[in-house]
Formats: sequence, structure tokens, C-alpha cells
Amino acid sequence: MPSSEHDRGGAALLEIRDLTVRYGGVVANDGVNLAIDRGEVVGLIGPNGAGKTSLVDAVTGFTAADGEVVLDGRRLDRLPPHRRRRAGLARTWQAGELFADLTVADNVAVAVQRRGWAGLVADVLGRSARTAPDPSLEMLGLLDDADRRPDELSLGRQRLVGVARALAGGSSVVLLDEPAAGLDTDESEAFGDVVRTMATSGRGVLLIDHDMNLVLNVCDRVYVLDFGRVIACGTPTEIRADAAVVAAYLGEEPVA
Amino acid sequence: MDQLVLFVTLGFAVGAVYAVIASSLVAVHAATGVLNFAQGSIALWGVWVAAELGATGTLILPIGSVQIADGPAPTTVAVAIGVASSALVALLTHLLVMRPLRSAPALSQVVASVGVMLLIVSLVPLRFDTTGAVAAPILPSGTIEVLGAQVAVADLIVLGLALTVAVLLAAYFRFTRWGTATRASAEDETALRLTGWSPDRLAALVWFTTGAATGLVAVVGSPSIGLDPISYTFYVLPGLAAALIARLRSVLVAAAAGLAIGVFQSLLMMMSTYDFWPVWAQAGFGETVPFLIVMVALFVFGRSIPERGGVQTLRMPPVRPPRTRPVYALVVVAATVAAILLTEGSWRFGVVTSIIMMLIALSLVVLTGYLGQISLAAMAFAGTGGFVLSRVTTEYGVPFPLSLVLPALAATVLGVIVGIPALRIRGAHLAVVTLAGALAIQTFVFGNPAFTPYEGNLIEDPTLFGLDLGVRSGTVLTTTSFALMVLVVVGTLTWATARLMRGRTGRSFLAIRSNERAAASVGIDVAGTKLLGFAFSAFLAGIGGCLIGYSRGQLSVESFTVFVGLTLLCTVYVAGITSLAGAVVAGLLAPLGVLATFLEGTLGVGHLYSLIAAIALVVTAVLNPVGITGSVRQASEHLIHRRTTRAQL
Repeated sequence: MPSSEHDRGGAALLEIRDLTVRYGGVVANDGVNLAIDRGEVVGLIGPNGAGKTSLVDAVTGFTAADGEVVLDGRRLDRLPPHRRRRAGLARTWQAGELFADLTVADNVAVAVQRRGWAGLVADVLGRSARTAPDPSLEMLGLLDDADRRPDELSLGRQRLVGVARALAGGSSVVLLDEPAAGLDTDESEAFGDVVRTMATSGRGVLLIDHDMNLVLNVCDRVYVLDFGRVIACGTPTEIRADAAVVAAYLGEEPVA
Repeated sequence: MDQLVLFVTLGFAVGAVYAVIASSLVAVHAATGVLNFAQGSIALWGVWVAAELGATGTLILPIGSVQIADGPAPTTVAVAIGVASSALVALLTHLLVMRPLRSAPALSQVVASVGVMLLIVSLVPLRFDTTGAVAAPILPSGTIEVLGAQVAVADLIVLGLALTVAVLLAAYFRFTRWGTATRASAEDETALRLTGWSPDRLAALVWFTTGAATGLVAVVGSPSIGLDPISYTFYVLPGLAAALIARLRSVLVAAAAGLAIGVFQSLLMMMSTYDFWPVWAQAGFGETVPFLIVMVALFVFGRSIPERGGVQTLRMPPVRPPRTRPVYALVVVAATVAAILLTEGSWRFGVVTSIIMMLIALSLVVLTGYLGQISLAAMAFAGTGGFVLSRVTTEYGVPFPLSLVLPALAATVLGVIVGIPALRIRGAHLAVVTLAGALAIQTFVFGNPAFTPYEGNLIEDPTLFGLDLGVRSGTVLTTTSFALMVLVVVGTLTWATARLMRGRTGRSFLAIRSNERAAASVGIDVAGTKLLGFAFSAFLAGIGGCLIGYSRGQLSVESFTVFVGLTLLCTVYVAGITSLAGAVVAGLLAPLGVLATFLEGTLGVGHLYSLIAAIALVVTAVLNPVGITGSVRQASEHLIHRRTTRAQL
């Protein structure tokens, strides 16, 4: 593997170690190691079918996988998806997957509320569940749409609702799976600023996108995935110059 | 040994019907993705048509009749017409009901096929003279000796027919181009259409053929099984159990499993005659078999049972959480109090029953409308409440209102148990589990003499602080104090439920309904929340069952049959399963409620009630999935929208 595997003192906020995902005979992720630090925006790029989404699915518990997922020193890889989210590991979905029957505000509020029996008792005896909108709505400029339903918004803005939902409740790491698809150039640039803002509070961000400008401009470090393996990792400048990356994207044999 | 052989062969006739239903279910599922709950009813209609022809030579149609012979029709004619009517019913079900719903949510498909099932089973006692009818023998009556037992030749022929049907169906799917195309339509209907096949015609062929096959085996087997206005309808459950064992894939495995269930039930019958067999398991134990099989099959195979892909699924009817409008609530309460005070006799009884039914309808709104879990077991939970109520009041003297809470908690426990499969399965499969569970509870618990004393399950009247809240007082059929007590209980629970639906719980329910994966990704414990929904829903139904019990003075099993439960589902769906208002309207429409009282007392057509409910359900499912309250709301939103846009001009 090309070097530049950073060696920083101490453990990162999110550590993914030797993660392997198999679908039948197909290996979607093959021994992937990846780390995200506090306040760091990490990019993940690679051609279609490289295993980016499968990595997100595995890390968040939606796909069975071998390997370790450690968030802030705590092993998460045996937990079901909702427990990982409550531990602070959040994600968005490529297809949006918003709750069609809930308003934008409720799509976000459902992620932070009290749950189960506690929620039930609070509903009957306590005060109304209508609380002030989550700060993530304002951050993503969605306050005006708070009372609309997702299908009343453009696809790009629906993506942003998904992002707001992942940020809600102070999640410590968010994995963004193609959040900028459907945004035009200006919106995409503005979204880049938002991604930087997310990280300023010490949150770790993993950004998957096909918009190379966005990824290379916003990220501190970038991982490149091809055929399920990490083939490169480094700063955007290093990645731009990496022969293996160019080959993976252009489909040529890497120049040794 | 000979007794064993005898009982094994006694199970052949019923087992053959299970087998043909099971293989038909698999075939129809392969062709259309539908689990047809009406397959048993399709058999029922053919059986009665053939029996009537064999007895009087009259061909009974759903409307009208034709005299085709003076006196009994020849056996071959009777059988042929019986089979043809089953086939036609199946074809019409496809063309008029299921085909228009082919891209509808699972809920619509399930309620529509349940509607057809109810429609036929309600029509049979109206169109046929079901008292004392006997199916004339069709097959030779001889016996042959097998391993020392006398076995009826007729049963062996019926068995042979069912197996032949299964083999032919399997061969059709495997070896013919049409069959291959039909299987392909289950994979991707659009792609099949692009290759020049018509999935609709292939599906119609499968519906027609399986309808005929089911009719044939049932008609020929009916002299040995017996004529009954209902039982064939519920043979669909063992059929479904067998189809699930075959993972909805193999027609042959389904047929074999269906036959095995029939034989197994017959063997259970034999076991129950032995001394060592416990008394409590003598009655109704056989009916729990399909439920246990369904539970195990779904748990073992779980996700490997195919759910149909392809055509994009339409969304469930939309939900608008209730808003706080105390004015409306007060108006409804005031109207109800007025209705209680201004009525008497059977009308007041109807009003009170409507109030109670509203609570059980609400349990369906919460579970099915909000959480998206299709449950056909609401009345069984209610019945459990009533059943336990009888115990705690007569044997332990538990006072009111604790006497409501304890039975409701028992129903809650049962609700969670029936809900456990919902953690692995959804949609139509869940409906199968809940229906099987409801039937098991009905026959094994309510209908079991071991659990029900001779004098019935009596219930002591409630009193509170020396105040008599009993339903009867002298000649008064329904006392004001009882009616008001019901109103207070139901009103309080409805208020609490409205707060839940508006609050965090409703939010997580709706999140799970629209997208379970995404719900888990925002930290919602999907499994726990589903069980919470089942628990809460069963609690509401359990309280409702207690109130029904109090209103009767004893637990009447007839109030809680699967039939009543399905009829209630009809009314809730017709009224609008996604809203509080829908539950209120459903209460008015519900069995024994205000509408039923009106039909019975004023129009004198109470016997048509379930037929009307079934027709309304089918029509609603096909044409107006948002129900009555949903279309009223849509109309008013439309009006408001027009007014505001006009004001802006």
C-alpha cells in the first residue's frame, strides 16, 4: 500500500481496523484500515463499485463484517445499528431514506428524542414533544422548510435533511454517503463550507462523493478505494499526484 | 397399528384440501406476489354450489339462481359446475381486486384479499340453505384393506387428485415456456413485459387454474369432510403454513407439507382419545398446529422467503398526526353523552358497544396505521382480556378498576408474543402469523371446555366506592352509570393514545413505518419499538375486551371470533386506518355498534351486515385506500387550498 499512513500519537476518534465484507463469494471490502480524528474531514473516493457504501454499511452495522470498529476507545462492531448511532456514530444514505410521513423538523427530532418506555411515559404525562428545532437545521439552512414534508423539497435539499438528521443529537462522527449529489455548483460549494463547520466542533467527518472538487478542497486527508482495498491515502495534494489513483480512475495498469 | 393407519388415512381428505390450497398459494404468489387469503373461500363457494346442484338441481349464483335440472343434477354435472364456479371466483378476484392492487402496499393487498374471503363466507349462508345440508357422495363408497385397516377408496382418490394437481403445477412452472415466464414475472415484471409477455394474462391463467384445482379437490373431498358454512375458509391457514414451509417456492413441498399437516391433525385427534393425553389439549389443539408451524417456519427461514421486487410499491396512506383541538374533543364527548342519555334499550347498547369498539379500532390504528404492522389478531387480544376478566372477578374478587388493568396486561403479554415474529418478517407474512395466532387462541383458549366452565365465563359487575356500575339493573338493558363508566375509560385511553401518536412514540412509529433501515440509523431500536407497539395495541384491545365482557355479564366467545376480528379490520380500514377520526368512525360502523343496530333494528337487515362490511372493504381497498376520513380530509384540504389561493389573487 502506498505510504503516508499517518502516524499520529494516540488513538483516533474513529478507528476502522482490518474491515472485511463478503457478499457470498464477492469481497466488497478487503482488510480496510481507516482512521478519522477529532475535527478532521476525511474523504473517501473510488470508482463505482469500489466498496465505499459497503464500507459505510459495515461500519454502521447494516452489513455483517469482520474487523474492528472503535469509536473513542469503545468497540462498536458487535452492536446493532441503533446502538452504534446512540454511541455517536451517524450516517446518511445515498438514496436519502427520509421518513416520508414526518416533517423535516420531525425527521431530525426523531433522532434525538427520548425513546421506548421513557418516551411513552413522557408523551402521556410530560410536556409536549414539540421542542425547539435542532441546531443542525439552522446549520444546513433548513429552518424555512422545517414544517414541510420531504417530498415537497428538491432532491438536493432532501439530501441536506439527511445530513441534518445525522448531525442531530451531537453525533461525534458522521459518515456522509454522497451528500452533495443533486446540488448545483454553487450549492455544492456552500455545502463544502458546512462540512468544514461540522468538523470545527471536534466532530469527525467521512465524506464520500463523486464531486472531486468538493472532496479535494474540503478534506484534510483522502482515502482511495478500489476493488474493496485502500490503494492510497494522503493529503489532497498527494492524492492528486498519485499514479495508482489516476490509474484506478482511468482504468489503466498502475505505473510501478 | 391398524388404528394408526386408520387415523393417518382419515387425515387424507382434509390434508388433500390443505395440499391443493398450499400449492395454489405458492403458484399465485409466484405469478402475482400476492398471498391470497381467500383461497379457502374460493373452495367454499365451489363446494356449496356443487352440493346444492347435487341436492336440488339449482345453480346458485351470487345473485339469482338457475334451475338446471328437475331434481338432483347428475354428479358429474354438479362437480363440473362447482369446479367452474371456484375457477370463476378466483379469476374475478384477480381481475377485479388483486390486479388493480398489484403495485399497492402489502396492507392494501392483505385487506383486499381478506375482504374477498369475508365476502364469500358472508354470502354462503345468505345464498344457501346451510342447515342440515349434506353433500351427496361423489366417489365410490368402498373400502380397501391397508395394513389391517379399512381405508375409504374415496379418500385415496382425493389424495391422488391433490398430488396430481401439485405435480402438474410444478411441471407447468418448470418445463413450459409460459411457466418460466410466470416465474420470471415474480423476479421482474417490467423486464418480462419488455420481452413481449403479458404478466397479467399469465397471472390470470394461474388464478383460474388454481381456482379450478382448489375447487375440484374440495368438491370431491366434501362428502368425506362434511359441509360447513365456514370451515373451508379457514383451511387457508394450514395452507399458508404449508406454503411458508415451502418458502413460497416449491409447489411440491407445499403440497407435501399440507398433506402432512392434515395427517398430523388427524393423529392428534387419535392421541386425544388416549388416557395419558391431558384434558386441556383435547379440544382445539389441532388448530394451534398451523400457528406453531408458521411461527417456526418464519423464524427458521425468515428473510429467505422471497418478497416480491419489481413494480414500484405505492406508499401507505399518509398519516397526519392528531393536533390538539380540545374543542373537537369536547364536541365528540358531548355528542356521545347526549347519545347515551337520549337512547335506551338496544340503541343505547349499540352506542356503548360502538364506544368500546372504537377503542379496539384505535388499537389497530396504532399498530397498523401508525407502526405499519398488519395485525389480524386484535379481537383475540380483546378476547384474552375478557377471558382473564372473568377469572379475576369471579375467582379472585379483584375489584374494579384493577379488574380492567390485570386482564389488559395479560393481553399485553400475548401481544408481545404474537409480535415477536414481526422482528423478522413484515407485510403479508406478518398478517399470516397474526391470523394463525388469532385462530389458535380462539379454538384453543376460548373454545376449549377445559378452560371454560359449564355455566360459561361469568363476569361480576363492576362497582366503585359502593357505586354499582353494572350494565343491567332490573329491566334496564344498559344503565347510564355503566355507559358513562365506559365513556370515561375509553375517553381517557383515547386521550393518552392521541398524546402518544402526537409525541415521540408516534414519531418513532411513523419512522419505522416509512423506513426501518433509516429508523435504525437514527438510533431507534426498531425491534423494541415494534414490541412496544404490539404491547400498547394489545393493552388497548384488552381493555376493550374487558368492557365488552362487562357489557355482556359473561364472556361470550361469539364476540371475539376471528370472523368478528376480520370484520372489525374491514370497518377500520374503510373508516381510515391512519387516523384517530378513523377509529371513531370505525366504532360507529363496527359489529354490534350503532350502524349494526340501525341495520338490525330499523331496517331489519342485520344478517346482511358482514356482507356489506366485506363489500365496502373490497371497494375501499381498490378505489379509496385513505378511507372515509382520509377522503373527507383530502376534500377539506383541497377546499382550504382553493380558498387561500383565491384570497391571494
